[in-house]
Amino acid sequence: MNIPIVRLSSISKHFGRSTVLDGLDWQVMPGQVIGLLGRNGAGKSTLLECLLGLRETDGGSVTIYGEDVNALSDATRARIGYVPQKSDLFEWMTPRQMLDYVKALYPRWNDAKVDALLARWGFDGGMQDKPISKLSGGEQQRLSIIRALGPDPELLILDEPVSALDPVGRRDFLRELIDGVIERGTTVVFSTHILSDLERVALDIAFLKDGRITLQGQLDELLEGARRVTGPGALLDGVALAGEVRRHRSLDGTVSVVTQNGAALGAVGTQAGVRVETLSLEDLFIEVTQ
Amino acid sequence: MTTHSAQLFSIATGSPEPIYRQLVEQVRRLLAAGQMAPGDGLPSVREVAQALALNPMTVSKAYSLLEMEGLLTRRRGMGMIVADRPGPASSSAERAELLRPTLERAALEARQLELDPDTVLSLFTHILKEQA
Repeated sequence: MNIPIVRLSSISKHFGRSTVLDGLDWQVMPGQVIGLLGRNGAGKSTLLECLLGLRETDGGSVTIYGEDVNALSDATRARIGYVPQKSDLFEWMTPRQMLDYVKALYPRWNDAKVDALLARWGFDGGMQDKPISKLSGGEQQRLSIIRALGPDPELLILDEPVSALDPVGRRDFLRELIDGVIERGTTVVFSTHILSDLERVALDIAFLKDGRITLQGQLDELLEGARRVTGPGALLDGVALAGEVRRHRSLDGTVSVVTQNGAALGAVGTQAGVRVETLSLEDLFIEVTQ
Repeated sequence: MTTHSAQLFSIATGSPEPIYRQLVEQVRRLLAAGQMAPGDGLPSVREVAQALALNPMTVSKAYSLLEMEGLLTRRRGMGMIVADRPGPASSSAERAELLRPTLERAALEARQLELDPDTVLSLFTHILKEQA
């Protein structure tokens, strides 16, 4: 069980002069449900595309289920599902034509699930006969999710899967992810900016910053361990805290330190003038990605 | 003996308190207040996960923790039930202790607002009476 199914080693990717991925190492273990977080432009989509072999890297190697991503066997390819940020469906086809076409590419296809999702997500009736280009952004995104779930993938990669969905659509998607995907033991990696959704389903989170995974861990542990310690520089300047994530000094000399190891604070936190706060995921996101 | 539905629980995202922790504290409070009695059935992990749109692992983590503490028992074919308590129901001191995390947060905010204890206490007294 403890062999990573995805392994990225020293991945580099440049666009012109800008470095997007900078010697990035990352591993995904079987059964993990990981939320990938980072600022806009941090390179989350690039990372997921490199992970899937859809984009060439400038250095490093990627393996999925032990195979080089640039030479995946058909059998391994069939185990992977992907929902891209921008759906690249066959726009001239109707939803049903597209799904029939895609189905033929896979050795295994869950017709019952696809039909149930089509009905549940409003693709019955007239919409079946509309070309995909005429569907709304949200409808295209839902269709893209259905397409990815059709082959019952063992590894599901989702890049901002709900960005075009309204709150009801997002909740429907979460329920499907929980009931139809996570319960089957599927490994899931998804990027999102909607932290409330992520808190509901991701057990692990990984932060992408400056071209590397700078912080990764169990969401529960990160929340329970994270503390922001604020106080005058005179008290905090000389003290290095265990598990420091970020240290920041304001113009007035106040120092603020974020640590992921709140349990080890000891006497530092009890001094007069020093304030210790717990952090929400949103606080943590801001502290880690700044 | 009742079997409680998943409506029993509510969670808040965006909190520094992990969701499994929120579930554990809710069960503790319901037990302490006698709203759940020994032998009562809890909703299944799957029901709670579906109703609240949560990863089932988060729900089962909460249940396992409560089982380890002896508050819940796993009954074959019936899922989780409230354990028989050896002693009498929790004392009011024990129940008050359950309120501590919430009050500590309130105390922190009160200090940030530079409110004196009397003002805060009278506000709290007022809120308690309002909702009674």
